[in-house]
Amino acid sequence: MTSQFDIDIKGFLESSFLDWPGQIATVIFLAGCNFRCPFCHNHGLVLNPNEYPVLNWDDIKARLKKFTGWIDGVVVSGGEPTISKGLPDLIRDIKNCGFKVKLDTNGSRPSVLADLMENGLLDHVAMDIKAPLNEVAYARAAGQPGFLDKVKESLALLQSSGLPFTLRTTVVPGIHTEKDILLMARQLGGVPNWQLQYFNPENALDCSLRKLEPMNRDLFNLLDEKAHQIMEQSA
Amino acid sequence: MTLFTKENCGKCDKIKKAFDLEKLGINIEVIKPNDPDVLAHLAWHELVDLVEKGALPILVLDDSTHINYELPVRRYLERHIASMNQ
Amino acid sequence: MTSLQETKLGPVGFQLDDATDIAVFVRSSDDDLKGWNRQRIVDALLRETMIDKDTADLVGQEVETFIRKTKIKFVSAPLIRELVNAKLIELGLEKERRMHTRLGMPVHDVKQLIMQQNKENANIPHGPEATNLTLAENIKKEFAFLNVFNQEVGDAHMAGDIHLHDLGFIDRPYCSGQSLEYIKKFGLSLPNALSLAKPARHAEVLLAHMVKFAAALQSNFAGAIGWDAVNLFFAPYLVELDDRQVKQLAQMLVFEFSQQAVARGGQAIFSDINLYWEVPDHFVDVNAIGPGGEYVENEDPATREEKPYLTYGDFEKQAQRFIWAIFQTYLEGDGAGRPFFFPKPLVHITEKFFKTPGHEEFLKLICQVASEKGNTYFVFDRGNTAKISECCRLSFKLDESDLEDAKTPWRMRYSAIQNVTINLPRLAYRAAGDDTKLMALLREQIELAVEAHLSKRAFIEQLLAAGANGPLSLLCMDHDGQGYLRMQRGSYLIGMVGLNEMIQYHIGAQLHESDEAIRFGLKIIANMKIVADKYRQQHGMHFVLEQTPAESTAYRFAKLDLEQFSEQAKDVIKGDLETNEIYYTNSTLFNIGAEMNPVERIKLEGLFHPLIEAGAITHIWLGEAQPSAESLANFVTKTFRWTKNDQVAFSPEFTSCRKCYRTARGLLDECPYCGSTDLEGITRITGYFTKLSSWNKGKLGELKDRYRNQAVFAKPASTNPAETATG
Ligand code: SF4
Ligand SMILES: [Zn+2]
Repeated sequence: MTSQFDIDIKGFLESSFLDWPGQIATVIFLAGCNFRCPFCHNHGLVLNPNEYPVLNWDDIKARLKKFTGWIDGVVVSGGEPTISKGLPDLIRDIKNCGFKVKLDTNGSRPSVLADLMENGLLDHVAMDIKAPLNEVAYARAAGQPGFLDKVKESLALLQSSGLPFTLRTTVVPGIHTEKDILLMARQLGGVPNWQLQYFNPENALDCSLRKLEPMNRDLFNLLDEKAHQIMEQSA
Repeated sequence: MTLFTKENCGKCDKIKKAFDLEKLGINIEVIKPNDPDVLAHLAWHELVDLVEKGALPILVLDDSTHINYELPVRRYLERHIASMNQ
Repeated sequence: MTSLQETKLGPVGFQLDDATDIAVFVRSSDDDLKGWNRQRIVDALLRETMIDKDTADLVGQEVETFIRKTKIKFVSAPLIRELVNAKLIELGLEKERRMHTRLGMPVHDVKQLIMQQNKENANIPHGPEATNLTLAENIKKEFAFLNVFNQEVGDAHMAGDIHLHDLGFIDRPYCSGQSLEYIKKFGLSLPNALSLAKPARHAEVLLAHMVKFAAALQSNFAGAIGWDAVNLFFAPYLVELDDRQVKQLAQMLVFEFSQQAVARGGQAIFSDINLYWEVPDHFVDVNAIGPGGEYVENEDPATREEKPYLTYGDFEKQAQRFIWAIFQTYLEGDGAGRPFFFPKPLVHITEKFFKTPGHEEFLKLICQVASEKGNTYFVFDRGNTAKISECCRLSFKLDESDLEDAKTPWRMRYSAIQNVTINLPRLAYRAAGDDTKLMALLREQIELAVEAHLSKRAFIEQLLAAGANGPLSLLCMDHDGQGYLRMQRGSYLIGMVGLNEMIQYHIGAQLHESDEAIRFGLKIIANMKIVADKYRQQHGMHFVLEQTPAESTAYRFAKLDLEQFSEQAKDVIKGDLETNEIYYTNSTLFNIGAEMNPVERIKLEGLFHPLIEAGAITHIWLGEAQPSAESLANFVTKTFRWTKNDQVAFSPEFTSCRKCYRTARGLLDECPYCGSTDLEGITRITGYFTKLSSWNKGKLGELKDRYRNQAVFAKPASTNPAETATG
């Protein structure tokens, strides 16, 4: 910890054009995660966060201030940011500097999420939906059992909040079947902003996944189309 | 602070007469057509096009923002002096 | 003389008698065999050099004696010429030898050329037409050294102090920007053409004229062919067209220019189209030229009294329909979904742009194209400046006399006559840390560049003087009281390569590493500008600084410096010394690999742009990432408002599959559609998109280094986190 908040920042992208559509955003990556998704790309941050030196928040803040006006907001990502104790303090500090905040979360800690939302500390949330909303499937995709209810709770929070949010699902051959994805489309029916993400096997957390052939792009595009058709119908 | 001025410029001269710039700790930089150092300095503060437009004088503040034309510069300096005297 | 047996012409390989007399066949360049005739040597010497007759006779005799002694049976004309040259050297007649020298290439080189790809300019594919071009260029290049430039300038180029661009096109000006109004008004009547086309009546015909004219111009200029306000000038022809037809026209425009690889030397026309969402102020009240080359009559009875003709201000909607369709076409890409390489669309972003209704959606569209395909160039015209852009970076600010021309827009044509680039890092090596010396050397190089420009101007003027019967007859055509090439308005470009490495060597920090480095860099460029301005006054010629695209120059300079200044150069040259994939950073750009966020890069590189009159650009390399169009629009708007940056382009990378003909994002090892590994990488080289397989080593080195705005995880090796945070 190298700032007044109980938080470990391990990664930093000063200005991103793709992590928050419409905004020029700074992305910071916090250490640690309560999930163990086999397809995780940031597994360094999840499994061995101590191998990465901690970045000093005050340094980052000083940097950001130089770009006031240019940079619209900060994306707080991870790992899973909601497990960091100092998250609310950090976000409050970001807001005080005049930046908007987007939170990337796996939805495992609805209470933290609710708190942040109540205090008006969030401007956007992106949440992962790892698998169809049933216990077995979810535990497999998240690499951890017992989080389904929390995820559902977070989802409900978002849907009732009026806050702009995005749901994201990484499609992983071997973990998701086509049926799974279409089932999710039905379960999430009517959510306006659900994105399927293409999985790149290189560098996945679970080494057995790394040997997977990447999914055929055409199949992926087709699946994406089908899923969204279902969504529209159930909307 | 730095004040960019031109020789034989009525507006610049008025400012120079109205204030004791030296006492205010303001550097004066005279823009001459063939002086690369001044040109480089103007470019550093993103002022080349303002000078081309003749929007003089230009006062560059310590935070690197600037004020230009006689009246705004005059007003700024008056306020600056007032706040120093407080 | 009489002892020579005059032999009749015979076929190649004709067996000669074992004659005691010289019975040599001369293989001349006229494709036939001529019998030996010593007088030819003497005649040539008298014709081509200042030599006196007696000496010429002597040389002729001695060469003949030599050939006689060797009992050679076939000699080629080039061999005889070289023997004569050897004799001239023996006699100490160096000047005569230079005048008598012969241009050409060794067999080995010609073979290489025919068999292998030329990597100097990635825009040239490999093929018979392309090798013709290269062969011709080689000879013209040598000719330029001997006949156009003085020896000092020639030597400076050879040594790599400066680079004279497009020497192979010594008999043409550099590049040209024009207006469609010229062909709308005068039709297409090219010198030497078999037929004369009257002004077009229909949009497609106008397009056909445009493409043909562009091809004709390509044969008369070395580089880019740019067009001003294309969507606006097409507008009067679009009134009758429905949306589908407008889209078709847009497709034809883009495909025609992108498929012109059948033109000169198999080289696509390096074409740029300038586009406006709004009607630029300087055209609003200009009478619009419509079908048939006539002004468009105002049919509104209420206003026709005071305004008999429509002006371009009346055609905003049509112009917008067309520009929209053009960008739809770019967004779709070619048949395989790849980006179009040409024509390059340059969208002018102005104060008026932001006041023109519909600009938000349009900005989003062109940003989507930038994100998905990369084509869009955003050209920033701040305040009341108006510009016409062409080439990689080249743009001309329109001054008052140009804006006067705008009232008769067909007159708006601009040309740069030549481009000379200065090797900046080398000056730092030679100055060895001494500021005064550095500036003195810089002045010296600019003087050389000016010298080179004077020579080129004199040569082009000589060609133009021959008028309609001369080699540049197209440029002499006169429909409006002046030749097509307005020589008196020509610009002479002075470019630079490696400011970053120059500063790095001289003060020990690269441009991105300290404010002091930037300020010193600005001082260098300010000096260049002021010296160029002084020469401008002295010679009445328009010398302007330009950011050299330096597709091959950045590599060439680095290579030569590594040979000639290896001790100094090896510490600052970029790329991989081991594989020879080395380069200098282009022009005034910051280190390509520096972990600078795009905001900082656009701001800091932009500090230099106001000093570089003929245009400058910042590239943002996107790599695999596909940013949000809205975020880019946000960035572009802020760049316009808050920086002095002249121009920005975003460059994605693609992989195109040769097996399934699909295109994927990023530079990949395997096709994500069919798994094939027979792939072709595509991205922007300097000013345009092209296939990686055609890149030279220097550019490949640069590609590896390009910083693509990836996340920075404090590298486990780095112990000081603040370093990454502030990098
Ligand atoms: S939630 Fe899963 S994917 Fe996200 S950081 Fe944690 S382990 Fe990785
Ligand atoms: Zn394929």
